[in-house]
Amino acid sequence: MATPAPAAIECRNLWQVFGPDAESQLSAAMEQAGGDPDVAAGNLKEKGYIPAVRDANFEVMPGELFVIMGLSGSGKSTLIRCISHLLGATSGEIRIEGEDIVSASKKRLIELRRKKLGMVFQHFGLFPHMSVADNVGFPLKVQGVSRKERRQRAMEVISLVGLEGREDAFPRELSGGQRQRVGIARSLAVNPDIWFLDEPFSALDPLIRRQLQDEFLNIQATLKKSIVFITHDITEALKLADRIAIMRDGKIVQIGTPAEIVLNPADDYVREFSRDVAKGQHACVDSVMRPLDQKPDNMPDDPGLRPGMTLDAALAACMQCYEPVPVHDENGVLTGIVHPADLVAALQVETK
Amino acid sequence: MKSLGLGIALTAMAGAVGATELGAVDEPIRLAINEWTGQHVTTHVAGQMLEAAGYKVEYVTAGYMNMYQAMEDGELHAALEIWSSNVSDDYAKKVAAGGVEELGDLGLDAKEGIAYPAHVADICPGLPAWEALRDCAQQFATAETIPSGRLVDYPADWGTPGADRMTGLDLPFKAVPAGSEGALIAELRASTERKSPLLITFWQPHWAMSAYDVQFVDLPVGEDACFNDPAWGPNPNAVNDCDFAPSRIFKAGWSGMADKWPAAHEILSNYQLSVADQQPMMGAIDVDGGSVEEVVADWMAANEAKWRPVVDEALH
Amino acid sequence: MSIAEPAPVTAPWVGRLTPGTRAALITLIAGAVTLLLAPYLPWITIWPDAWTLPATQWVDTGLGLVLNLIKPAARWFSWLMEFPMTWANFALVSTPWPLVIGVVTALGWYLGGASMAALGFLGLIFVLASGYWVESMNTLALVAVSVPLAVLTGGAIGILANEVPRVKSAVQAVLDIMQTVPTFAYLTPLLLLFGFGPVVGLIASAIYAAPPMARNVILGLERVEPEIKEAAMMSGGNRLQQLFLVEIPTARLQIMVGVNQCLMAALSMVIIAAVIGGFNDIGWEVLLTMRKAQFGQALLAGLVIVVFAVVIDRMSATLATDRRRFDARVTYGILGATVIVTALSLGFLPDPATLTLLDPVADSVDSSLGDFTAANGAALNTIKNGAMFYGLLPLRIGLDEAVLPFTWGFSWTPAMSAGLFAAAALIGAVMALRGNVVGGLVVLIGAGILETGVAQMPWPFVLIAVAALGWVASGWRLAVISVLLLSTILISGLWERALLSLYLSGAAVFACAVVGGAIGLLCAVSPLAWKIMRPISDMLQTIPLFVFLIPVLMFFQIGEFSAFLAICAYAIVPMIRYTRHGLVTTPDELIEAATSSGATEWQIMRDVRAPYAAPTILLGLNQTILYAFAMLVIAALIGTTGLGQSIYLALGQADVGLGVSSGAAMAILALVADRLVQGFAEERRKALGL
Repeated sequence: MATPAPAAIECRNLWQVFGPDAESQLSAAMEQAGGDPDVAAGNLKEKGYIPAVRDANFEVMPGELFVIMGLSGSGKSTLIRCISHLLGATSGEIRIEGEDIVSASKKRLIELRRKKLGMVFQHFGLFPHMSVADNVGFPLKVQGVSRKERRQRAMEVISLVGLEGREDAFPRELSGGQRQRVGIARSLAVNPDIWFLDEPFSALDPLIRRQLQDEFLNIQATLKKSIVFITHDITEALKLADRIAIMRDGKIVQIGTPAEIVLNPADDYVREFSRDVAKGQHACVDSVMRPLDQKPDNMPDDPGLRPGMTLDAALAACMQCYEPVPVHDENGVLTGIVHPADLVAALQVETK
Repeated sequence: MKSLGLGIALTAMAGAVGATELGAVDEPIRLAINEWTGQHVTTHVAGQMLEAAGYKVEYVTAGYMNMYQAMEDGELHAALEIWSSNVSDDYAKKVAAGGVEELGDLGLDAKEGIAYPAHVADICPGLPAWEALRDCAQQFATAETIPSGRLVDYPADWGTPGADRMTGLDLPFKAVPAGSEGALIAELRASTERKSPLLITFWQPHWAMSAYDVQFVDLPVGEDACFNDPAWGPNPNAVNDCDFAPSRIFKAGWSGMADKWPAAHEILSNYQLSVADQQPMMGAIDVDGGSVEEVVADWMAANEAKWRPVVDEALH
Repeated sequence: MSIAEPAPVTAPWVGRLTPGTRAALITLIAGAVTLLLAPYLPWITIWPDAWTLPATQWVDTGLGLVLNLIKPAARWFSWLMEFPMTWANFALVSTPWPLVIGVVTALGWYLGGASMAALGFLGLIFVLASGYWVESMNTLALVAVSVPLAVLTGGAIGILANEVPRVKSAVQAVLDIMQTVPTFAYLTPLLLLFGFGPVVGLIASAIYAAPPMARNVILGLERVEPEIKEAAMMSGGNRLQQLFLVEIPTARLQIMVGVNQCLMAALSMVIIAAVIGGFNDIGWEVLLTMRKAQFGQALLAGLVIVVFAVVIDRMSATLATDRRRFDARVTYGILGATVIVTALSLGFLPDPATLTLLDPVADSVDSSLGDFTAANGAALNTIKNGAMFYGLLPLRIGLDEAVLPFTWGFSWTPAMSAGLFAAAALIGAVMALRGNVVGGLVVLIGAGILETGVAQMPWPFVLIAVAALGWVASGWRLAVISVLLLSTILISGLWERALLSLYLSGAAVFACAVVGGAIGLLCAVSPLAWKIMRPISDMLQTIPLFVFLIPVLMFFQIGEFSAFLAICAYAIVPMIRYTRHGLVTTPDELIEAATSSGATEWQIMRDVRAPYAAPTILLGLNQTILYAFAMLVIAALIGTTGLGQSIYLALGQADVGLGVSSGAAMAILALVADRLVQGFAEERRKALGL
């Protein structure tokens, strides 16, 4: 990863093990296993320890929307709490904009949270005794910002999430969707660079969920935060993510773009996830495109494929084609070829 | 009793007296009010005497058993009716340590003994002679004591004089300690209401003596020998085969009182009250419902000859 | 007591036995062995004096040193506390009574609307009419200072336990001790430390009232949703900001429950404080009237405390709910009217001490108690003798000594003992064959105890049985701790008294469990029954316990049966409440599922509600046990011969060592019983997945 700018978040060999004296147990287990994390995790489990996150490695680029997906109990919530340092990691490295936060002082952590980090929670985590405006202004209050300034900034973010007029209501007076808007507003109050969202839409009903997802994408389009987003919903992950990490039993089994996840699942577990997904809508022509050097001499049909077309659209266009077809970019330059058979095969991954 | 206000402090208009003898007249002398009416009477008489001498007096409610620590600390200054038959061990300790001193006898003629409500004489003919108890012990038996008779004794923390008498006189009675004075009174009351047999350890002066017509059993008169020499008395093999040792009722106070209030110390030391005077006042309060202050004030007015000399003597 | 026990079950089975069966088996063998050996080894039944350590003296000396060391600080604290006491007292006593009544009424409206205002108004009018106004205000002043003290102390303890998880279990133990060591046991040291006067009462009630506050703070802070805590953390709050700006406000409803319980506990302790005196409060009046056995007057003074308790309880309970706001104009209106009325009537107000409107009622209650006793003497005697001969006595000294020609009409013979054990063995065997091995063994153990009597149980048997119970209830740790704690009673020479206490409270708990459980069941089924029982329960729990002693004494005289009844009157309440609560709060879905399966009302009760309510009922039993031990001390005022009596002996003789040791022994019995029952309750809860 030789990127010039440091990654927004970088995790190296991150472990979270629950149990008494976990740290030394972990290093002993690693030594015993000769450095193989899977064997070490197995050993720990036998001793009654819970390796909730094992050997996680990934980085989130500035402005990237990084989704961590897994079933409940897969360790995704633990992972995001390690990164936000709500839980102290058992071992490993976490860097936020290049700064090591595992060894950061308490004071520095509070400083980071006041300036750089924001977090949204699954069940909103609203303070029941505060009004909407007070909830949103709370991160400013703890910094000693004046009441007036707090109110002003709170009103800005409240209108950003579309809650104008409800600023003096109390959380118990709001619907679920509205509550999560407050949660989002509060996490944005200090205008953080890094934004953690822990299953923010899971507790909402489907219609509201979709609406909030769209609004979330709009907000992100303007704010360009570096985001870690947790979900158990593959559809949500595919819809929102720049990249997705899939977790199972504390281990990250695959990291990739939505198309990579859908079309090239690393194992049966990931495949199982994408089983019910309409892959044609999430993968594009470029994922099955072959380079020009495989170009056959003769391409009778040209259904007008583009690299960014979804596979569904491409398949619809190629219904009558049996031979390889060309793909042109927006400027009409030939960039690759596609075998219609590849299209069909890609879409039928799940039937294997 | 409801009118026992907190901190009633009256300054009496005493004659011109040397302030050196009186001591710190501006500071109230705090007298202990314990849990029974007789003691209230005794204390209020003393208090009004002190007021007549020119002192301020404060009446402070205090648990009888637990007041000596306060006396040693100088937070309570005197308690005027202490029964020798029932004193906390703490008293002896505090006297030994020098924080509390005795202020002499009150002169109240007290008696303790084995007693019964009058109607019991019908159940056990031959009373008040103690020998009668031997034959009617069965009449007094209950579930807990069968086959012996039942004697309701003092609460355990007052000692076991009743049980000692039964052993001494070799009477077939088992002593059941009451838990409290209230329990003793409830026994007397229930027995009187139900005309049921009851033998109880009791004392006078006590308002219940007349309220429930309580009689004492005649026991051999106690001499010192009775308590030391088994050979003495009707039972040649045991001590305690006689009536109770006569109990003394005395006064005690904070040992700093003689320096701080010399005249008051003298007044309280010389103060005496007789059963003949106390008992009618108790009746006026408990039976007729008068307030302690008023009953005592009336008595003080009518019986000036009985207390004025003590006050005058201290002041001159 | 030479009785042939049935031979223990043969060895090959042992490997397949459940923990419960194994524990019961060990207990049974221990019982049989001690029973057989007892005639030859007298030390098995009676702990020899030679083995007793002078522990009470050590406690006395040790405590004496410590007390002298901290005495100056304590005295300084007393001096400090006298200021708020004096102010509160002055403010409450010197305020004209119409003003106090008006303010309480206005407060009632503000907190809970018309009904609360009426409650406050009528309650205080009752107090006024009783003639105990001044005493009540003195009491209120004591509560007004002790409750903030207890709230602050309890709050601080709760926060400490929350912030330093390592000390949490130690804090829980301290709270248990504060609640189970009877106040009378430490009055003497308190007196020594803080000096004479109301401050001792203040401290005593604060010690007793702080634990419920601390427990609710701990519970409240624990129950704050993790996400709310995390949100506070992620907002960049430091620990103090997280705690005071977010966690405590979020937990405020639970904390208010703590304040409410704290108030009630302080009020119930007021009477205890009166034993020392120095304040002329309502508790002192109860004591005076109790001493004269004037039931009517004692009841009246006691009811004043009940009225206060009810008013304070209902008003402070509104703080623990999200309440709606009531029209502030009415509040101001009431206040304004009060000021005007007070100002106009200032010269003409009757002295509240001269009011005796309720005295005739008290007198008639008193005389009807007398009449009732007189009229039913024979019947009352029959009840008492029956209960003593056929219940309490055999339980205490065993059938072999309790069965006498005077009482049962025949003597107990070894043949009868053999018959008893044979019958028990038969029942046990039948139960074991039907699959209930533990039950069968317990029947045998029970027969053994009935034969010997609780107060004469050999100590090795008690220790082994408790260890076995502890092991089954929660594991070897509880077993070890229980045995160690009980051993301290044994070597300090208080064992015999402890067994007597155990017998009396055990009998009361058993009776409460059966009768209270039945009443609770009835209240769960019939709303009418609950409507009647609820105010009775409230009254039984708040009236000073002393008040009960008089009628019980009048009816049944000094003795164990009276003490037994007095304990039951107080300890039965939690059993009723928890049983009913557990039964009525079964989730609707379960009931619907059962109903749709065609279950009858009774089948639902037996197969759905009762099992679901089991953990709650066990908690009620637990409370009943603690209440029974607490009441044991009060019941000693009737005349009992257990640890309660030792505590009074110590109090009367200012014997710090004996008082504290006896108090500790009582607390140990209560705590061991508490942990055992909680262990079983926990297991039930887990089994139900709650």
